Amino acid sequence: MEIVWLGHGNCHDCTLVGGKGANLCHLAATQRIPPAFCLTAAAFRDWLPTGGEVTALPAKLSAPLATAYRHLGDLCGVAELAVAVRSSAVDEDGQTVSFAGQHSTYLNVTGVAAVAKAVQHCWASAHATHALAYRQHHGLAIGDIPMAVLVQQMIPADVSAVVFSTNPVTGQQDEVVINASLGLGESLVSGAVTPDTWRVHKRDLTVVEVRLADKQIMTVPTPGGTGQRPVPRWLRTQPSLTPEQCLEVAQLAVHLERTMGWPVDLECAYRGGLLYLLQCRPITALQVVP
Amino acid sequence: MSSLALVGPETATVPATTPIPLPADFPVTWAEPEDAQCLWLRQRMHFPEPMKPLDEWLLRTEFEGAQRAAQLYDLPITSAGRRFNTYAYAHITPMPLSPAAWTAQGASAQEKLGAAMGRLHERWEGEFLPEIQQILAGWAAFDLSAATMPALVEHLDAVIIARERLWDIHFLVWFPAYTAISLFEELYCELFGGEDVASTSSAPATSSAQATGVEQVSVPSVGQAFDAYRLLQGFDNKTIETTHALWDLSRRALMLPTVCQALAAKSTAAVLSTLEQNVEGRAFLADLRAYLDEYGQRGDKWVISVPSWIEDPTSVLKNLKDYITQPDRDLKAEMAELATTRERRLIGLRQRLQDYPQPVVAHFEFLLKAAQEGCVLTEDHGFWIDFRGWYPIRRLFLELGHRFTTAKVLEKPADLFYLTLDEVRTIANALANGLPSGTRHLLVAGRQAETEYYRGLQPPPAIGALPVTPPPVDPVSQAINKFFGAPPPPQREPDILRGAGGSPGIVRGPARVIRTLAEATKLQPGDILVAETTAPPWTPLFATAAAVVTDTGGILSHCAIVAREYAIPAVVGVGIATDTIVDGQLLEVDGAAGIVRMLTAG
Repeated sequence: MEIVWLGHGNCHDCTLVGGKGANLCHLAATQRIPPAFCLTAAAFRDWLPTGGEVTALPAKLSAPLATAYRHLGDLCGVAELAVAVRSSAVDEDGQTVSFAGQHSTYLNVTGVAAVAKAVQHCWASAHATHALAYRQHHGLAIGDIPMAVLVQQMIPADVSAVVFSTNPVTGQQDEVVINASLGLGESLVSGAVTPDTWRVHKRDLTVVEVRLADKQIMTVPTPGGTGQRPVPRWLRTQPSLTPEQCLEVAQLAVHLERTMGWPVDLECAYRGGLLYLLQCRPITALQVVP
Repeated sequence: MSSLALVGPETATVPATTPIPLPADFPVTWAEPEDAQCLWLRQRMHFPEPMKPLDEWLLRTEFEGAQRAAQLYDLPITSAGRRFNTYAYAHITPMPLSPAAWTAQGASAQEKLGAAMGRLHERWEGEFLPEIQQILAGWAAFDLSAATMPALVEHLDAVIIARERLWDIHFLVWFPAYTAISLFEELYCELFGGEDVASTSSAPATSSAQATGVEQVSVPSVGQAFDAYRLLQGFDNKTIETTHALWDLSRRALMLPTVCQALAAKSTAAVLSTLEQNVEGRAFLADLRAYLDEYGQRGDKWVISVPSWIEDPTSVLKNLKDYITQPDRDLKAEMAELATTRERRLIGLRQRLQDYPQPVVAHFEFLLKAAQEGCVLTEDHGFWIDFRGWYPIRRLFLELGHRFTTAKVLEKPADLFYLTLDEVRTIANALANGLPSGTRHLLVAGRQAETEYYRGLQPPPAIGALPVTPPPVDPVSQAINKFFGAPPPPQREPDILRGAGGSPGIVRGPARVIRTLAEATKLQPGDILVAETTAPPWTPLFATAAAVVTDTGGILSHCAIVAREYAIPAVVGVGIATDTIVDGQLLEVDGAAGIVRMLTAG
């Protein structure tokens, strides 16, 4: 089975769709998650004999991929849908080890050819030295790394947020921490921008602390990809989230922690006033404070 | 920290300054010791020539208006204008505030200026323009020649007060209008410049958990600035209206052979008397007079001591002569094309912005609207305040000059311009009360000699003191710098003059160095107009000249903005253009690069 749809069939099988996909699948029915399909670990194994080169897709993959991409466009009502192509390693986003940032994400990909290329780049990065080094360090199998790839409707975020349902620095379990900034989440995740930070008390959802930053960079969709732009001068020190949005995000984190049964590290985005969940994984490297 | 005032003095004490050594032939006595600490820049763009004493009143009150308007917007600046050795100087100085006070005031200024930017057109049409027109109507209704001397004195005092209000309005409009244009250009370059990451290149969006730090965005080029300004062009304004009305007059003349013949006469007097000689000519004269009534309340530049177009229509006739040599041109269609281009580009840009964060798109639309409205107001405020607000005052002073001459205080009315305002008021009050007023013939002669003496001098570009800390980089300062322009870059090559790009395009033609509107009669179609500065009354020449080169000004000067509306190349802020270039010299003007190549020897 090369392609699995989020919210359908075996999408919760981590060995097929990787940690990222499985986590989202669990939540697909109840959360606002952009529609997506997954190229499974099986598809990766079909591709491996090409020697890890980015060329034309093997025949048994190209037709299903094209069909799936078209269907995704139909679901979203857009002919050539802009998608995010993300790696989802089979042991990624597990409980103790997070591969956050170690594999690839391609944003604002349009057209089947570009999607096929992006998928192959994700697979190729599974061989990349830094990913192997990370696995070596954490004592994981160095053999071929099963890799799934998530192809998801891209949300051109007005505001992106990274949310922890417990404080990842202090380990405090009664606090939600929200980092937010304008544009796509890439500048947040890469550390290119210093975001606004909210600390929210979990029990009554009151804001413990707000620290507004001088947000200088935002990532925006550009033709064929993304680009970094300066945040317009007068928006740099404006809060990226309204108090209502801060509350909504904190509530989401609390709810998901309860649902998943573990503290969550979320990536989400606002577009047109609606909150979308993009990623949900366990917080790793936690110092648990009783 | 407020983004309107990002850099401020470290302490609350007066910042350190370095005195600028004065040239030996330019002695200065400071009225207040604090004045010596300010950086006074020569106002060559508005007042390139030695000023007569009465004109100093204009200069002073203009910068006082700037300071009052700045206060109303919580802008932390002080400002003043003075005449030193007949030349106009002015300073705009950041206030010495503590960092906390600077931040607080900057935040307030941002809010007030932002609110003003959001209502530029609305406030102009609904509040300011009606108020201006009411003041002007009151002035027009006053019968100068029939008034008694006491009534004239009262009127003079009322005019002085009303003019202060006019110049408050001038800067209440100026600050948000020019700041909006400058901010829009900055935003445009930020949003549509920069490095893009191709999605399927070998560089994915995020490949490492290691922070890469803030990535450098590419420095915007001047070309991008011009792209930004294209989105502001093609709107009607009073300066363009002034030219179009004259153009219409020229189309009418083209249909009347006797009028064209009359316009070919050498002197203004000859043109007017020839037009009087037949029915067609007289009808055309009536149209011309109507044109002058509406658009002719202006003179060469910004001083009241020069005659208006109404008094001397030579420059208007000159433009008509040049316009009738272009019978097949459709000036209005050319301008309409700018509007079409603007809207087409906007469609494309809005498409690109679709997926940008909504707050950014909203901000773009806000600044676009403010900058478009601001662009119109850069010309409209001048039409109504700088010029319509100028002519009645000139008439008043000419009337006073006439009365003073009758009373033998002066030898002729125009000598009044060699008195200061205080002297005028003192004499007028004396005359009104039937008291002896003495004569001022020697005083006037002395001041005339002084003006002529300093005309032969090279005045220093700056006097006073240089600040030790760097100047602030807030949006208002940036707008002011774009208006006045930076000092010219070092001139390295012998046959190239460098300035700032004012309007893009490359053109070759013979130079015509013109210092006054009266000299503009020598400009021929296809010539390159070379001047110290071009005031709004000069802009009808832009339909004749192939390009413009000025010594003063920046990318937001009148010259540059209007040159872009006429789509002719302009290089501004060259500094030594009128001193270096000679009439007839073949030039190549590259408006985008800000370069003037002298193709033949001077």
